Amino acid sequence: MALAKQMISRVTLYRISAALFLLTLWEAAGASGLFFKGVLPSTWFIGKSLIRLSGDPIFWGHFSVTLFEILSGFAIGSLVGIIVGLALGMNRYSGQIFEPVIEYLAATPKVVFLPILLILFGIGVGSKISLAALSCFFPMTLSLAAGVRGMNPMFLRVGQTLNLSLAQRIRMIYLPALVPPISTGLRLGFGIATVGALLSEIKLSNKGLGHAAMQAYARFDIPTMMAILIVIFALAGLGNMLIGSIIRLPGPNTRRLTKETS
Amino acid sequence: MMHDTHSTPTLSIQNVSKHFETGKGTVTAVDHVSLDIQQGEFISIIGPSGCGKSTLMNMIGGLITEYDGSILLDGKPVRGCQPEIGMVFQEESTFPWRTALDNVAFPLEAGGVPKDKRHVRAHELLDLVGLTGFENHFPSELSGGMRQRIAIARTLAFQPRILLMDEPFAALDEQTRLLLGDKVVQIQQKLKQTTLLITHNIAEAVQLSDRVLIMTFRPGRIKRVVEITLPRPRSSEMVGSEKFAAYVAEIWADLRQEASKGLKETEAAAAH
Repeated sequence: MALAKQMISRVTLYRISAALFLLTLWEAAGASGLFFKGVLPSTWFIGKSLIRLSGDPIFWGHFSVTLFEILSGFAIGSLVGIIVGLALGMNRYSGQIFEPVIEYLAATPKVVFLPILLILFGIGVGSKISLAALSCFFPMTLSLAAGVRGMNPMFLRVGQTLNLSLAQRIRMIYLPALVPPISTGLRLGFGIATVGALLSEIKLSNKGLGHAAMQAYARFDIPTMMAILIVIFALAGLGNMLIGSIIRLPGPNTRRLTKETS
Repeated sequence: MMHDTHSTPTLSIQNVSKHFETGKGTVTAVDHVSLDIQQGEFISIIGPSGCGKSTLMNMIGGLITEYDGSILLDGKPVRGCQPEIGMVFQEESTFPWRTALDNVAFPLEAGGVPKDKRHVRAHELLDLVGLTGFENHFPSELSGGMRQRIAIARTLAFQPRILLMDEPFAALDEQTRLLLGDKVVQIQQKLKQTTLLITHNIAEAVQLSDRVLIMTFRPGRIKRVVEITLPRPRSSEMVGSEKFAAYVAEIWADLRQEASKGLKETEAAAAH
């Protein structure tokens, strides 16, 4: 126990010193004059911008637009991903027919679809939500299809001997058995849904954090831009942590599941 | 519905055959097997690997639906899965995301039994298989023998007319297997559960059964039926008795021919 505690504190110590080191490096690089003046503003100015933004209703407007885009895109993409993944995994033929295509598309940067989405849904939130949804759909689908195929076939046998309906099999066997791949899909998906929403905001938009960052860039208000980027990082990181802890809530189950199938 | 238990067997297998098409031609796995099981009887089918005993079990359980002949449950022909025919498998089949209690309650939950009612029933069944106190444990926290007892309790939860067990203890060590045999005897005594057990363990078959059916190596036929008249209740202490040993020897004499035939054929096939 004492050893474990010592280890944890040592890791934390290293983390803090690494962060401090990076900060110093940042400040030194900014002050060195090697870069164009103002490109690397002092953390002091970034901090001040952050404080100013936190009291700015326009900023919060952008923030809530982006949050809405990410969350709805994430929800739609994950839900469709679960449904399609289940269908692909449960039916051997549909898996063989569609999965290669999905795998190719999964490896393609989703931003190439943005022009199509812009035409379809306009430059408002529609194109952002759809790109976010499209981004997180693929990892969920593939993770789930593989998960279904890796399931212990005896679980389904039990369902078969009891004559369970399709809905019962999905609710009582497939979904609980697939908590690990679903949580993997959710965690991977949230990050890239965020990327999808912000990328399309940066490309073409009139609202959102990406748009605000680009506006600050155009004004050459680098501290504000940096502050917005920090907010975006925090948002993505926090979301990831939140999903991780929610999925792990029925804790022992998830752990047991992986132990059992290994 | 009342049945005259002696005129209508609980399960009647009539002239059942199963052929498989393989690259080398047709293989007959089960060849004209007929068998009547009366209410409350415990029957074991014993045979060498490859005698088609698991195929037979899957046909009765409804997992295989294409075969010749017919299978009757309480006089009515059945094909496909019936909740009245409960199956316990050799492989691990407990749900790792459910506690022992919720595993046992699973069939009741699927059948729409309200929560408090199914939990009462699941408690009774866990008590029956000797797992009182483990209600809230997850399968991964229990031993293989305990998990298999959960699987048996789960199958019993639906009160099947007949319980099919396909080598349920094959993955367990010999001592655990004998002790679990005692448990099955007790369950049998209490529930008067009609049971068909598939096994390749002679001692297990003798300890548990009213009748032991010996099957031939491919094609699977019933070679002989041995009535076990050892007094009940039986326990694993009987395994050392002279009468018990006589039954084991008798069955082994028959089984030996079939097993060596199977071994020869497997080795010949491997040599090609």
